[in-house]
Amino acid sequence: MLQRLGITNGKVTRDPDQGNVYVYVNPDEQERRHLCETLKLDEHTLASALDPDELARLEFEPEHVALIFKRPKNYSSEEMFVFQVTSMGLFLFADRLVVVLSEDVPPFEGKQFAKVATLPELLLKIVYASILHFIGHLKVINAVSESLEDQINTSMHNRYLLNLFSLEKSLVYYLNAINSNGKLIERLKHGAAKIGFTPENVEVIDDLIIENSQCYEQAEIYSNILASLMDARVSIVSNNLNWLMKTLTIITIAIMLPTFIVSVFSMNVDFPGKDHPLMFWGIMALAFSSIAVVRLVWWWKKW
Amino acid sequence: MFGRSATRRIVVSRPEGLHARPCLAICRTAQQFQSRIELRRGRQKADARSVLELLSLGAGLGTELVLKARGADSEQALDALVELFGNNFGLASEVE
Repeated sequence: MLQRLGITNGKVTRDPDQGNVYVYVNPDEQERRHLCETLKLDEHTLASALDPDELARLEFEPEHVALIFKRPKNYSSEEMFVFQVTSMGLFLFADRLVVVLSEDVPPFEGKQFAKVATLPELLLKIVYASILHFIGHLKVINAVSESLEDQINTSMHNRYLLNLFSLEKSLVYYLNAINSNGKLIERLKHGAAKIGFTPENVEVIDDLIIENSQCYEQAEIYSNILASLMDARVSIVSNNLNWLMKTLTIITIAIMLPTFIVSVFSMNVDFPGKDHPLMFWGIMALAFSSIAVVRLVWWWKKW
Repeated sequence: MFGRSATRRIVVSRPEGLHARPCLAICRTAQQFQSRIELRRGRQKADARSVLELLSLGAGLGTELVLKARGADSEQALDALVELFGNNFGLASEVE
């Protein structure tokens, strides 16, 4: 699916006829052929832009610069707390910018796109939006992990633990992707003259390097916290289960004792005072006092 | 005893539905108010202060949600949430 946009009066606008920003969402075979034959995009690089497992990289071609970079995939509830990453391709020509996406996500969302002057600036803002997207998802991962911790404190099954494992795995994906993006941004800076970035663009790249490294550190901290406390959380769930078992055992013993007393007096043999009118209430009192004895021992032993 | 209650109906208009960042934005907004806020999708319920529950709602594009708040500031809380939905959680596309 192709959407043509343009830059008019510092804004990104829809321009189906003369727009010089081409956004391809999951291009079909015909569109891919057009991109490779008409715009001379390398077939392998184009495939990389649609491959979620591809690492970020920068390629210099005779007529354009190709950027493959990582961005977070939009989370859906079916993914059970696995936050994944996807790839995005940016192909910057002298007169146009081609954006290739594997899924229909709005690439121009956020206030940073409110004012755009040139195509290289737009390219850098798309990279910046990706970093902000990662930061946004890291905040969500942190909030989800805090909620899961609260649940684990009282939980006796491993569902929440498995969710935490998923979050840990997501953070590993994110760390890898952010690190890979960092290398790409460094290369953008080194190739600034070759790409045709202005000194203002280079300043923006410097900011991107700082933002990306902060994002990486944040992901690393969250990942370390999750990994280091995972054993403790497993122990908490196990301990919660032990407490439940202990309580059930005490209840069982408390019921067993009166059952035993009543059973003894139910035997079909003579025992002293069996014809006494208060014998029934005596046996009942003995049975119930055995429960009280168990409770007293429980309290005394601090079980 | 429980304060005033208020209800609003809203339809998810984001193409990606209520995904991670919008859920966090809802959660942060709900935490600013004293009222207890609930989002309902059919029989499913989610506490607006829990990002975990909001993510589990799995509300996609076009899903109708019922927002219920109970507390002294229930009206203000729901107004703030409706505004948040209205401005696309601050993630609106800047394409004109």
